[in-house]
Amino acid sequence: MNTFTVPATLDSLSDIAVFVLKAADDAGLDRQARYRLRLAVDELATNVVNYGCSAAGRTGARPGSIDLRAEMNDRTLTVVMEDAGAPFDPTRQPPPRLDLPPDEREIGGLGIFLALQGVDQYHYERVGDRNRSVFIVNRPTEKGPD
Amino acid sequence: MAFDITTLINGTIVEITLSGELDANSAQRFRQELETIAPGKPTALVLRTAHLVYIASAGIRVLIFAKQKMGATVTVYMVAPQEQVLDTLRRTGLQNTIVVVDQYPAVP
Repeated sequence: MNTFTVPATLDSLSDIAVFVLKAADDAGLDRQARYRLRLAVDELATNVVNYGCSAAGRTGARPGSIDLRAEMNDRTLTVVMEDAGAPFDPTRQPPPRLDLPPDEREIGGLGIFLALQGVDQYHYERVGDRNRSVFIVNRPTEKGPD
Repeated sequence: MAFDITTLINGTIVEITLSGELDANSAQRFRQELETIAPGKPTALVLRTAHLVYIASAGIRVLIFAKQKMGATVTVYMVAPQEQVLDTLRRTGLQNTIVVVDQYPAVP
C-alpha cells in the first residue's frame, strides 16, 4: 500500500497530482482515465483546502493535513483521501445547472461534479472525526488471443 | 508542471498563452491577469492553449469570470486545446460559450 501525507494547502495540489498520476501509471490506466482520476482527487482536495482544513488555518489554528493512499488489485485502482476537516459529503451537494449559460449559473458544484463523474465509483464516509473519500477506477482488461 | 501565462495586447484583441497546469493554485494568477485586461474592453480574448496540459474547475470558473467581466461583446477563443482539456470543457457545458479553433486567426 502506497501512502502519502501533505499539508492541506493549495501548494500541495501539485504533490497530490504526482502521487495520483504515479498510481494511475502503475495501474496502467489509459490517458483519459488517468486525467479524470487526477482531476477528481484534485477537485476534492481543493475543497478540503478551501473549505475544510484551511478554514481552521484562517482562524489561527494550524492547517490540517490530507492523507492519501493507493491500493490496486487485478480489477481496480483505489485512491483513498482523508482529512480531519469539518464533515462534508460531496455526494449530497446539488449538481451544477449545466443547461444554463455559464453566467446564469450559481457559483459552486462544478468541481464536485467533475470529481464524481470522473471515476467509476466514488464513496464518502465519515470515520470518527475524519472525512474519507474513496475513488475507484477500473483497470484496463487485457484481451486474450482470438 | 508549472503554470505559465503570457499576454499580448493588439488593440482590442488580447492573446493569452496558457501553458502547464491550471489548478486552483495557479488559477489565481490567471484571474489576476484577466482583471488587469478587462478595463481595456477587449473584443476578442484569444487563449492559446496548445501547451496547457490540465485544467481544473477553478480554471473553468476563471473562463466564466472572463465572459462575465468583459461583457457580451467579447468573443473568447480557445486555440488548439489538448484532448483532455477540451473534454473537461465539454463536460462542463462551456463548449457553447467559448469558440474552439485549431488556429487563430483562422486560415481562410
